Amino acid sequence: MSVTEREQRAFIAAAAADARVNVELETEGMTLNIGPQHPATHGTLRIIARLDGEQVVAAEPVMGYMHRGYEKLAEVRTYPQVTTLINRIDWLGSFANEVPFILAAEQLMEVEVPPRAAWIRTILFELSRLANIALFLGDMGVQLGALTPVFFAFRDREFVLNQIEAVTGGRFHPNFDRIGGLKDDLPKGWIEETRGVMVKMRTFCDELEDLLMGNEIFEARTRGVGVIPADIALSYGLSGANLRASGVDWDMRRDNPCGLVYDQLDWKVWTHPDGDSFARYWVRLQETREATYMVEQMLDGLPAGPVMAKVPVIIKVPAGEAYVATENPLGVMGYYVVSKGDLGPFRVKIRSASFNNISVTPWVMRGVYVPDVITILASLYFILGDIDR
Amino acid sequence: MGLVESGKMPAPLTKLLNIGRKYSLWVYQWGLACCAIEMGAAFGSPRYDVMRLGVIPFPASPRQADLVVVSGTVTDKMVPSILRLYEQMPDPKYVISMGSCANCGGPYWDSYSVTKGIDQIIPVDVYVPGCPPRPEALLEGIVLLQERIANEDMTARWKGDPIVVG
Amino acid sequence: MSDTDVTDTDVSEPDAGDAAEADPRHIAAVATLADVLGEAMLDHHSQRGELWVRVHHDSWQRAGYALRDDLGCRWFDFLSAIDWLPSPFGRDMDAEQDWPTSGPPARDTTITHGVAGGETRLQIFARAAAVEGNPGGGNLAVTLKADLPNENPAIETWIPVYAGANWHEREAWEMFGIAFIGHPDLRHIYLPGEFEGHPLRKDFPLLARRVKPWPGLVDVEDMPSTDEPRS
Repeated sequence: MSVTEREQRAFIAAAAADARVNVELETEGMTLNIGPQHPATHGTLRIIARLDGEQVVAAEPVMGYMHRGYEKLAEVRTYPQVTTLINRIDWLGSFANEVPFILAAEQLMEVEVPPRAAWIRTILFELSRLANIALFLGDMGVQLGALTPVFFAFRDREFVLNQIEAVTGGRFHPNFDRIGGLKDDLPKGWIEETRGVMVKMRTFCDELEDLLMGNEIFEARTRGVGVIPADIALSYGLSGANLRASGVDWDMRRDNPCGLVYDQLDWKVWTHPDGDSFARYWVRLQETREATYMVEQMLDGLPAGPVMAKVPVIIKVPAGEAYVATENPLGVMGYYVVSKGDLGPFRVKIRSASFNNISVTPWVMRGVYVPDVITILASLYFILGDIDR
Repeated sequence: MGLVESGKMPAPLTKLLNIGRKYSLWVYQWGLACCAIEMGAAFGSPRYDVMRLGVIPFPASPRQADLVVVSGTVTDKMVPSILRLYEQMPDPKYVISMGSCANCGGPYWDSYSVTKGIDQIIPVDVYVPGCPPRPEALLEGIVLLQERIANEDMTARWKGDPIVVG
Repeated sequence: MSDTDVTDTDVSEPDAGDAAEADPRHIAAVATLADVLGEAMLDHHSQRGELWVRVHHDSWQRAGYALRDDLGCRWFDFLSAIDWLPSPFGRDMDAEQDWPTSGPPARDTTITHGVAGGETRLQIFARAAAVEGNPGGGNLAVTLKADLPNENPAIETWIPVYAGANWHEREAWEMFGIAFIGHPDLRHIYLPGEFEGHPLRKDFPLLARRVKPWPGLVDVEDMPSTDEPRS
């Protein structure tokens, strides 16, 4: 699709949304409050929607119910202590939160990570992607009224969590990444077990594909719902599968791997031209399957050697500024670290994916029906901790 | 129910009533943060299967619930909502505080926006420590709460000390 | 990322920017921005594949348009600010009760700025990247910086340039007290409406730390087999 055609389509979509809202039977407006505690909001997002009959005239998300002040707290903690905190930003894929921060600190310290550590990092990164997206794949079914997928998701997600726990000791918050490498090596027998889990996860993807793709209700409720054209997605800073579902072929893992080993793997970036809720679900499903293949390749090619570079016992990061972003399960997550040569960072700006991803909701929810609000929220896929930080 | 409130109920009847309450705990899931996922794993996943304990995790509204599990970080912005929904629950009501954040602020003990402990605003029956606690820990908390309900003197409902798992 | 390893070779060089500036995309980008902005482009710095450009705060919106239209950075990454004043509380490692009589030690409050320089206490920075049409080839990404006046910090909004800047500017307003001229609704985004103060300013105290002794001051113990020199 050329740019002009895309822009044209965006214009038509926006005009249609305005027309639908204004011309049809004008009823007395109503304000609907969804949240802050609502099953569809994955936590504590609150949406204030002004309705005209069954249609949303304006929707405004209210955040902050989960704001914990990470950026301020990071300023009063040492570098190793910060990783404990930032685990809890996106609590479904915790390990992935640590990686960009550690990479930024390593850039400033000019530490070279041993190859084995980089590979294991990438394996755990992809495992946390599986643990994260698996829940989305099931949860989206629940939001649309299909209860079965979420049971499948919780069941199969446990296998991935078991593998993460076997390495790191934590199901949720591993705190395993260190400046200069990893805390420990893989346990014995872990590689073979993980291969088995990858097969299970692929079966899980197939099951969900059977259950939901082609399901009439699922397609009717997702196709054409919540279309985000590429230029809107770019100007709102959407990232991850949300951006790729709008047809932008961009993945930090391929374009800027930044210390992780994605450039040595054989894999594919999935995109979808439609930009609707179905496309976002489809892209994430493909990515989950792709991630299992990537993990298998990495298990095959895992180099030997130490997992920790020589770093001082007390970590002081030289003065400087670094920004490192990685392709986290939810999208691009970056840390802008400003150091002044102290034990802790001077300022950490956390660029979290969900904050940008959800900022498009006022635009995309104009003119949709009330049930579509839930579909759009579910398909944009956010974690509250990742919005509010 | 006047009999219960007057505190003059015969002991065998109290016991019977307590067994009934113990095995039909309707729990409202107040999932806030990371702990919400572990709570979801405990309540929603086939592996942990909370319903075998007689706990029904389905009420869509606190007005139908006997027990609320507050799991996750409570912020000052969230406190009014929690208080409001707690007040909507019918008596006798129980509260499980799950996770370090709900217990005492946890890793955000020095934050400017986090409430340091849910017990500042509502009475808590069981504290489940951990960051986040494993689903098994939450199940143990529920079992301890059930023991407490089984031996409960209805009139002394609010006099007991909170239970700490672990 | 061929330019990351440049810094490995000249660790002694205080400003590793010169070597890394060989990135032709950065040179071209700086030249384009200098063309468009002229005097308003104050400084630039290139290191480890990242490019920083400092512009005058009067030209903030113009620089945004130049970034989007002339450099093709259509993907908005983030917008935030930084308070360069060293914290008057140090790193809050010790509470008031640690000095019962003497009071806290004097702190050095000289402002030193980061890459691409700076003049005032508050600095705003934003990043955008060109992500289309170059799969596998890396992206041009530019971090723009602008100094804000010390009195009543205010700057033009970026909403007409990048629609996604809306929430980021609300956040910066809440956290730093920076006004954005032309922003349609500067309201609290995270904190409750009655909250006072701007938490990310360095002179905003964390009250819990002021009253409790810091429990984690000594968190590194000698490992049994460690023979590394302690730094």
